[in-house]
Amino acid sequence: MSSDGTALRHNAFVYETEDQYLARVVPFLQDGLQAGEGAIVAHTKPGLAMMREALGPDATRVTFVDVSWAYTRPARALAAYHEVYAQQLQKTPKLRAVADVQFGPDPGEWHLWTGYEAVFNRSFGHLPAWVLCSYNANGTPDSVIEGVWQTHPEVVDGDAWNASGLYEDPDRLLRRITPPPQELPDLRSLPVGRDLEQIRERLAPELIAAGLGEAKTLEMLLAATEIAANALQHGAGIEDVRVGRAHGRFVCEIVDRGPGFDDPTAGYLAPRAGVGSGLWVARQLTWRIEFFRSPRGFTTRIWL
Amino acid sequence: MIATECGDSAACRALVESFLPAISNVARGFQGSRVERRELLQEGVAGLLFAARRYDSQLDTPFWAYASFWVRKAMQELVAELTRPVALSDRAARDLSHIRRARNESLQTDGREPTTAELSAATGLAPSHVESLRATDRMPRGLEDRLSADDASSPTVGATIIDSDAEQAYEKVLDDLEIHGVLGLTDELEERERAVVRSHYGLGQEAQTLREIGAGLGLTAERTRQIEAAALTKLRQALARPASIRRTAT
Repeated sequence: MSSDGTALRHNAFVYETEDQYLARVVPFLQDGLQAGEGAIVAHTKPGLAMMREALGPDATRVTFVDVSWAYTRPARALAAYHEVYAQQLQKTPKLRAVADVQFGPDPGEWHLWTGYEAVFNRSFGHLPAWVLCSYNANGTPDSVIEGVWQTHPEVVDGDAWNASGLYEDPDRLLRRITPPPQELPDLRSLPVGRDLEQIRERLAPELIAAGLGEAKTLEMLLAATEIAANALQHGAGIEDVRVGRAHGRFVCEIVDRGPGFDDPTAGYLAPRAGVGSGLWVARQLTWRIEFFRSPRGFTTRIWL
Repeated sequence: MIATECGDSAACRALVESFLPAISNVARGFQGSRVERRELLQEGVAGLLFAARRYDSQLDTPFWAYASFWVRKAMQELVAELTRPVALSDRAARDLSHIRRARNESLQTDGREPTTAELSAATGLAPSHVESLRATDRMPRGLEDRLSADDASSPTVGATIIDSDAEQAYEKVLDDLEIHGVLGLTDELEERERAVVRSHYGLGQEAQTLREIGAGLGLTAERTRQIEAAALTKLRQALARPASIRRTAT
């Protein structure tokens, strides 16, 4: 939380032993409980068991969330955390949370999760939450640890909460790590249609013909509806709708006639007053969304 | 893999079937861990399906090299969770000793695992206390025990192990996935709303116009359109609920 406790405080803690971990996070949560704040532990199953035991009787006042399978895509992980935080904030005016992030084995995806940590600052910037992300130094690659310092404004070092000298503005970091969009020459145009309903009617047979299941077809229809609605409302109308397969995935591009925008956090900001939630919805439902300007116009590319 | 990520339950089954031998191999590495093989396989399948949902085919790593990390991690975490040493108070250790003695006597007398209720009666300890101490000890449970000690309607342990074949281990995971896949998002909708959306866009059936759907429901096309619009709004709202923040009195 900010110094007045009204907005997010997003910190990280790099530890080497279980004792170090418990010595830091248990008092962190207990201090919050004493102050009437909510407490959340997000961890894998053994981490939850360890915390339940360490918290003793206080465990009954803590929400435990198994995040073993939560980190599939950044937008989905953010949505999952948002739901937990939203429920907690209905019960207490503030919350404290400890979270264990799952980076995975392939260096090619680490930047994705560093990006997740960066955008977390913006996504939940409005929530009265103090979130402590924990990283076990044993077995965590140096480049991931470096990313921890780049994405958390404060990092716990020993007994002190220090401002990170490597912290990078989330927008800048996201721009740095996001690869430029590739040209996808195999996509083909669909008749644009006069309204959202007609776009869905023309898109649905393409999805079904591509062999996608009912659930995924509906998810793409909803995501495309959100993007097309934005294009109609803010983008001076739809210029083109293109579909096809690329790298094994179904892709739908919606090209509008407007100037577009340049916001790397678009669709990652959790719902709140004054922020449209269409892109947040679309990101949750799909694999990836890219926004870019091309000779065709401002393009939103949806990967299912 | 992508079809699996895309929620196709048939693809999930095919994926699991093709990797089950590899998952079994990973599970062999945990022999002697005091965790049942069936539980390890179940967790391994969950790890495989998680990997399929997360795997990006544009990565350099082949799928199984990627997935085996999550399969092994899932099993390691299960073992860590279930075999974690638990510090018991002196009193709890004494209670556990009483339970073990009662269990051994029952095994000798009746030749079967005693139920929680029987152990509770033999030791004078509350059923919930017996249950939690048995959990810390990883003591086998009686076939007549309820899976949830506090819920008389929950199935018995015996009912869950009708077939001890290892392949049963992944059926539950897949069934859960299938149910989730079908109901998932549209679970938010009322039956009529779901029917309109599915009919209009040809989900699992021939696509129909709003007029045709309306005729079947005894409604005008415009009313059917309104039902669809309400359904889509409902789905959108389910995914975009803002956190309601309680302000402290100042």
